[in-house]
Amino acid sequence: MKRRLRIPDLGGARAMILHRPHATVQALTRQLSAIGLATTDHWPDLPAAALAADYVFFDADMGHDGQFPWAAGEAPMPMIALIGSEAPGRIEWALTQGADAQLLKPVGDNGVFSALLIARQAFESRRASSAEIAGLRQRLAERQTIVRAVTLLAARGKTEEEAFAQLRQLAMAWRETIEQAAARVVARHATKGDGDVRHELP
Amino acid sequence: MPRDCRLSPDPVARHSFWGEALLGRSKVRIEIGILFSREGSYRRLSEACRRGALAAVDAVNADPALPVELVAVERDPQGNVDRYGPLCAEILRDSSARHIVGCVTSWSRKEVIPTLEKWGGSLWYPCPYEGFEASDRVVYANACPNQHLLPLLAWTFPRFGRRGYLTGSNYIWGWEMNRVARDIIAEAGGAVVGERYLPLGDEDVARLIDEIRATRPDFILNNLIGPSSYRFLAAYAALGAEDPDFAPERCPVLSCNLTECEFDELGPAAEGLISAGPYFHTGAAPYGSSFEAAAHEAVRTLALRLARADDPAGMTLSDLLRVPAGGTLAIDPGTHHATLPVLIAQVRGGVFRVLERWEDVIADPYLSHRDRRVAAARPSLSVVT
Repeated sequence: MKRRLRIPDLGGARAMILHRPHATVQALTRQLSAIGLATTDHWPDLPAAALAADYVFFDADMGHDGQFPWAAGEAPMPMIALIGSEAPGRIEWALTQGADAQLLKPVGDNGVFSALLIARQAFESRRASSAEIAGLRQRLAERQTIVRAVTLLAARGKTEEEAFAQLRQLAMAWRETIEQAAARVVARHATKGDGDVRHELP
Repeated sequence: MPRDCRLSPDPVARHSFWGEALLGRSKVRIEIGILFSREGSYRRLSEACRRGALAAVDAVNADPALPVELVAVERDPQGNVDRYGPLCAEILRDSSARHIVGCVTSWSRKEVIPTLEKWGGSLWYPCPYEGFEASDRVVYANACPNQHLLPLLAWTFPRFGRRGYLTGSNYIWGWEMNRVARDIIAEAGGAVVGERYLPLGDEDVARLIDEIRATRPDFILNNLIGPSSYRFLAAYAALGAEDPDFAPERCPVLSCNLTECEFDELGPAAEGLISAGPYFHTGAAPYGSSFEAAAHEAVRTLALRLARADDPAGMTLSDLLRVPAGGTLAIDPGTHHATLPVLIAQVRGGVFRVLERWEDVIADPYLSHRDRRVAAARPSLSVVT
């Protein structure tokens, strides 16, 4: 499927560079300013204000976990690794930080714009996937609740199919997911002890 | 004859470097590279740029107020994109030139940038382009999309409508210009009714014409170049003569790089075409086209800056762009792009008539600054002539 690239709004976006003072920082800053971003550079640590940054560029050569105001892999924005040494250990570390894109050092005349776009796209799709997986996990965990609710409803002489259809109807009437409706049926059974929810039907 | 006075790194010589020249005893001789193709599909554009650059060299040399004598070191890539890199290297290796005026296509510009980096050279690029670049080694002396395409579309929408047909040659200019146009049209609530590309040099335009006839757009954005464009414009003019729905009053062809330098080839097919650019040859205007004007201005501002710089040989291009050179092309040191007027003009009776004009539009090569977009004036009943 052809996916169209959404160009992020870069004018006035904030980029932070975590790198010791170096020509790489100057080259990066020049490119970022030409594109329209506001840039600050930091070393040896990123301040807490980094949480509000839109992009973080970080040194993969001399970096370590303690430099960031968040746990490894949990940066709330796209991260771009600045890689000098292509030693596997350093690349592994950059990946555990959650690098969404990389630039090879020395940074020269170009490369920043594509890194910004690729990092933003990778970050957004990673975040969307995580949210989707969390939702699916939760629903999977609630499968047990559905089974219990169907069993409770079926205890009143219905077949399993009829009981499941009733649960779906309840979910629709209550404008909830089937998992939430099942949790309600189970909870009601726990209080009343009979699981009779027919009076809830519209 | 002026002595061959190469830029010397000797600090003593540097100190008194311009003093001698300013006393009128001699001009300092500075070589500059000229890298334009004199043949190939875009030779008309290329020749216009070359004319502008060489005329500026002559004008600088004839100007007693300027303590600089420019010497052109010229190479001709003959329209072959693979020759730009090596010829650029040849200029930088075999002469003292560090500044080169040259290139027409974005492809050739991208080819020379690594060479400029390697040899410490700079390119002064005089053509409109599709944006999304801000090389430290290049000065962009002509317009980028917020100085051509965006104003052109903003001007067109209230006058002709928002349903566009997009066409272009199969390379970066056409692809990127039409991508930006798609975004701008969508943002304005319009529609792209068709989009088609032709290989470079292809003259088989029948399918384009058929699609335009079938989709009946409000305007056509033409990003074809060279022979494809000439053939398309002739065929579309013929369609307009047959069916008034496709006459320029109803459904004009828009362009961001069509100038007077292609009139010879187009003849009456250019009539009604609407173009955006920083300059059109109207009245007593001195240059034949915006390509000529941009190349001329590039060379002139380069000469002025070199003349006023303390250490022209040692300074970076960004520093040179910070040297005050009042009265000439303003160049943003952050993006290396020129601040330019934006003109919308239509071909009427074989010449461009300017219909709209904005002054001093700062370039926004990455389209990231909304405040650098021009606000389109609503159409009024009075006709600007």
